[in-house]
Amino acid sequence: MIGSANEVMNLAAKAARGGGAPVAQAYAFGRAAACHLIAGRPAADLGAALDALPNGPILGLPVLLMACAEARQHEATIPAGPLPELTLSYAQTQSFACTATLCGTHITLSQTFDQPAAPWPAKRVTLPDTLAAKMQTLAARLLVPETEASRLAGAGAGLTDND
Amino acid sequence: MKDDVIPPQMPLRPPDEVMRLARMGSMFPTRLSFLRSMIRRLAQENAHVARPVWNMDADGFGHAVYSLRFGGHVYSLVAISTDLPPELRTDRVIATAWDSAYVLYDGVPDEAEIARIAAAAPKQEAARFTERDLVLSRANKSVRLFAHVVQALQDGQQPDEKMIRDVGYLMRTTAVYGNGKFGIADRALIADRPGLEGPFAAEMLTVWLIRHFTHDLVEHVGGAKLDPRIKRHLGIGNSTGLGMAPFLVTHPVLLNNWMMARETALARVRAIETLSQAQQDRLMQLAIRAARHLAEWDVPDPEHQARIVTLRADWQSVLSDLKFDGTHPLDKAMEQAARFSFDVQELTAALMIEPFGDLVDGLCGCMADPQGPFCPPLTGTAALQDSIRSHFNWALVPDYDADTGCGQFWYVSEAKQEPRLGLRFSEPGAELESPLDIGRQIKALQMALPDEDQPISTFLSDHPQHAMAVERVQLGAVHPYAEIRDNLIATSCLPIDMLRCKLSFFGASKFDPKSDRWTRITLCQGAPLADELNASADDWWLPVFAP
Repeated sequence: MIGSANEVMNLAAKAARGGGAPVAQAYAFGRAAACHLIAGRPAADLGAALDALPNGPILGLPVLLMACAEARQHEATIPAGPLPELTLSYAQTQSFACTATLCGTHITLSQTFDQPAAPWPAKRVTLPDTLAAKMQTLAARLLVPETEASRLAGAGAGLTDND
Repeated sequence: MKDDVIPPQMPLRPPDEVMRLARMGSMFPTRLSFLRSMIRRLAQENAHVARPVWNMDADGFGHAVYSLRFGGHVYSLVAISTDLPPELRTDRVIATAWDSAYVLYDGVPDEAEIARIAAAAPKQEAARFTERDLVLSRANKSVRLFAHVVQALQDGQQPDEKMIRDVGYLMRTTAVYGNGKFGIADRALIADRPGLEGPFAAEMLTVWLIRHFTHDLVEHVGGAKLDPRIKRHLGIGNSTGLGMAPFLVTHPVLLNNWMMARETALARVRAIETLSQAQQDRLMQLAIRAARHLAEWDVPDPEHQARIVTLRADWQSVLSDLKFDGTHPLDKAMEQAARFSFDVQELTAALMIEPFGDLVDGLCGCMADPQGPFCPPLTGTAALQDSIRSHFNWALVPDYDADTGCGQFWYVSEAKQEPRLGLRFSEPGAELESPLDIGRQIKALQMALPDEDQPISTFLSDHPQHAMAVERVQLGAVHPYAEIRDNLIATSCLPIDMLRCKLSFFGASKFDPKSDRWTRITLCQGAPLADELNASADDWWLPVFAP
């Protein structure tokens, strides 16, 4: 599937939520996932992170990066972890300006906390079909089956539309 | 906020006053609304709309292409009109067929691209699109008015003016998709293009062009021209449901920037020391126009109609007392309006802003959120506690354990992934609740925070479920209008208030609620036609049809 960055970001976030991640961590994963694929990093990292829920990097990486920000460490080094390029993607999708470089088993961060991150490049995203299917399956866990009562309360309900 | 020279202003109305559902549900469009600012920009550029393709049969089925140069780029609306059996016509988002479908295209489509869009656009959500497709939309006819106008034109007459006034549009859109949905272009692709920087600018351009198409289509089938005055009053309808409501909660910085711009505009005009006679006369003309607009606004719903009737009467009282002489006349007018309902107060606010484009129009440039949810991170749980006490007292008051305090829940339905609102104690699905319960989450965070200060990251390692509330508290410290300061899961929560707030920023008028969860509206009513983009193109706040 070739899609927009926004739809891949949202699909990844919903998949993480469906897999058991809390909301904020799910959306952080969505941002990191879009960045990860735009940068041409291994799509398998994303599948592995989803497989590790309700634990793993989707819960751990935001806290790791927050600890550096909270300590106001303008220059910091963090362990790259088992999915180093995913860690890189997380570091590069924080809300403030952050330059991240992978150096072997570590990632060096250069952070400017009072400066917003630069906007993303407007690029198409290629999401492998197997990963897309996995994400869609997980995301579908959030959907509530329709009932007649809910359908009758929705937009357009309750009157003729040929008026 | 950005502006070259910042005019003086009164204090902003506090968020605790402004960000309440009841007030947000009383908002009116202003000159800062996105349709107004977009059409001003079109007029400044003297934009010319061409129609390079009109491939339509005698019954009005086929396709057309409209192109215009705007901000140094060419955009085209590809419009597809199909023969829809009445039994398939529904405004529901779960529909699968429509009278017409549209794509706003980046550039001028060649034959192959037109063929691609003609095949895909009628399928809407079931198709995939490309990054040349900027906006995707569809619309259904107002069958009674479209048929009447066709018949009148075929009979050599103009349509019945009462019907034009009562309906107000030939078609109504049921979705206008942007920002990457179904493979269309990300907003990032166009966000820095002149004219499209503002929120929903591409969507508003699409809507205005769709309205133009509906005029052409009815004239084509009717075989005669509409009177321009009638045509100008024919806007484009829209049916809007709960899908729009979560947006305000999931885009807190954007909501802050919209409200901040509007409140700053009001604070600036309230600071005006004195008005010239011409300015006083202009305000009175607009106040009288507002009264006439209210007189032409009728809806079938008895409860909302009663509210409109009350507003009409109250507005007459306001009119009789309005004076714009003396010092700080607009500040005094707002103080006088405080005796009346939120409807009167918000109508007065919109009126006050209207004549002062030179003071407020620059604020339109502050209504996007190019930086996203950026804020300097707080350090330590004690700072979080302080911020909650300073900015989120509203969230701590409700009893979210009481049945009435959590009687509703937001969720996403399997049917086309449509957002819905359920009754917690009588409908299934609460365990899959969408996280729009911001107040409840903030209160839960506050109760979970430790007495002793500790790093937030340490706290979240042990309590990851509070990370979203932490983000909202950090944002709230620097974005005062970011949160709707009400309990969005309370039994008393009326989503229609959220819809009206957002739609007023679009520039919608003639709100026509069909329940507390969805509404019809009219966009572009009174807006300049494609051949009227000139210096006077901006005077269509609260349009009036009667001569």
